[in-house]
Amino acid sequence: MNSPTTDGNASAAHPSYAFTVGTGYQLPTYPFVKPPELSGGKAHRYPVVIVGAGITGLTMACALAKLGIEAVLLDEDDTVGVKGASSRGICYTQKSLEIFERLGVYDRIAAKGVQWSIGRTFAGHDEVYAFDLRQQSNFGLSSQPPFINIQQFYIEGFLVERIGELGHVDVRWRSRVVAFEQDAHGATLSVETPAGRYTLQTDHVIDASGSHTPFHAWCGAAMTSRRGDDRWCIADVRFKKPAPAERHTWIEAPFNENRAVWQHLMADEVWRIDYQMAPDADPEFVASEAQVCARLRAQFGENVDCEIVWVGAYTYRSQCLDQLRYGRVFFMGDTAKIVSPFGARGGNTGVADADNLAWKLAAVVRGWASERLLQSYNEERLEAAQQNVLVTNRTARFLRPHDGMERTFRDATISLARQYPFARQLVNTGRMAVANSYTHSSVCEAGGGLSVQNVRFCWGDGSTGFVVDLLNWAEGRLLVLVFGQLSQAAATRLQQLSQGTPVRCVQVVDAHAGAQAREHVRDPLGHLQGACHVFGHAWAIVRPDGYLSATGEAVDAQLVNSIEHALAIA
Amino acid sequence: MKTTLHLTDADRFYEQLLDAHQGLSAQQSELLNARLILLLANQVGDAKVLRECIEAARVE
Repeated sequence: MNSPTTDGNASAAHPSYAFTVGTGYQLPTYPFVKPPELSGGKAHRYPVVIVGAGITGLTMACALAKLGIEAVLLDEDDTVGVKGASSRGICYTQKSLEIFERLGVYDRIAAKGVQWSIGRTFAGHDEVYAFDLRQQSNFGLSSQPPFINIQQFYIEGFLVERIGELGHVDVRWRSRVVAFEQDAHGATLSVETPAGRYTLQTDHVIDASGSHTPFHAWCGAAMTSRRGDDRWCIADVRFKKPAPAERHTWIEAPFNENRAVWQHLMADEVWRIDYQMAPDADPEFVASEAQVCARLRAQFGENVDCEIVWVGAYTYRSQCLDQLRYGRVFFMGDTAKIVSPFGARGGNTGVADADNLAWKLAAVVRGWASERLLQSYNEERLEAAQQNVLVTNRTARFLRPHDGMERTFRDATISLARQYPFARQLVNTGRMAVANSYTHSSVCEAGGGLSVQNVRFCWGDGSTGFVVDLLNWAEGRLLVLVFGQLSQAAATRLQQLSQGTPVRCVQVVDAHAGAQAREHVRDPLGHLQGACHVFGHAWAIVRPDGYLSATGEAVDAQLVNSIEHALAIA
Repeated sequence: MKTTLHLTDADRFYEQLLDAHQGLSAQQSELLNARLILLLANQVGDAKVLRECIEAARVE
């Protein structure tokens, strides 16, 4: 089996725009196009309507476009990013990068962004904690690095252009949803545009419209919410400082009144520096260019030459819906849950939400899976949301302890961390996000619910391939990897499976072993086997989102059952 | 969580604990206690045992 031709990232065809122009960001403006509904065209019923073209909605739209599913994406604005706001979410996890690779925008992200794997945490002038993600678990085995930092609007802009290349999804700007109804027959959205109002009928509504969504009220969605008094000042700063691209966090920074400071490098040589402020500080005074320059001088010396690209005040809360599906409406990204920003669990979780649902909707629309598959979105992503809220709440509590005993324990932790290794683990400036595991999913069995890293293998002709290549080749079907030698009976069974069910089967053999299946790859380093968490003679079902549904040993009825289970048709 | 005695020299430990607070202000004592709790918790290690100890420490 040779490497399939891909549609490629076509990055050479794109203008190399830079959104950072001197001070401030210049974001693109997309034109409003009068929709067919207002041009006398025939009303068309779309299987999916996505509301909100932020990073989550755009990932959803791009994933559906890649799978050839027709959809409409509505956004009330005409640009990416948020007018008047800054870099926003900047740390993208390996899992998100693997998703972007599958969608075809990774190359542009890698070219523009900054890779990092080392983080250091300081208290006063002492480094109390450091990690190198390349040395943790198997981060080094993926084609994608542990993290890339890039301003959020770059990824959004790349996704907009990629959707344009792929087709199938109509992106409609300056289109605001003002009313919504749903019943057994479908959902109806009223959309307000500069050219007037129209209605859209659809079977599935994806709410990716962010933290101010109207859909919570329209659906009667309930959630738990928690807001503290922690206040921050965010600054995007360009300055000529030859420093390593590492994530630096101070719990107590001498140059910020012993409060926290975060420091990250993003694209265009712009640094993102977040300063924790006193809870009762006046945001306008503290989140000002003059104050930021004063802090930068205190940190780097009087002669620091810096250019403030953007500065603003920031606060956060945490909240989580009690369920992510209300009838035909699916909540994802910030509409599903809001987390404090520590650990990069906001935008990345939205991307993962979208990737989880897109292939399931496509499978249902194509008749490959039953509607019950969509319930697993709630099971899986609600568990992930709750886990991410739990972890980030713990970090927020460490960074903004209540006065009294909470502050005493933090002081104790920091002082012990200077002397003893065990205490360094307690210093909590954010637990970096990883792909969540699903332990309560109705469509994952033993061995399932784990993400498969984008590891390398060899095609039949010896050239290098990655898991993402196999997933793209499977085009929205389940990927069945069968490790080891195949008996004649097993080979026949796999052939029948490939014809009768929405699966693509691939045999995986060692470097020099023979292969019985025409579709086979080689796993000389054993990375593919390791990524699927199997040993020796085994099979693994990999879903289009790169997650395992199940693993097993023999190619028998159990495999057939597991395939049907994975698509909720058992 | 053990509830029978496992200290090898209970009175000596008790004296050392009190002596460690000699001459400290209330705030310094609180910090000492917090550091000691974290150090001792790491010796115990087991999450279930620690949870039981925290529960047992609550004053009814």
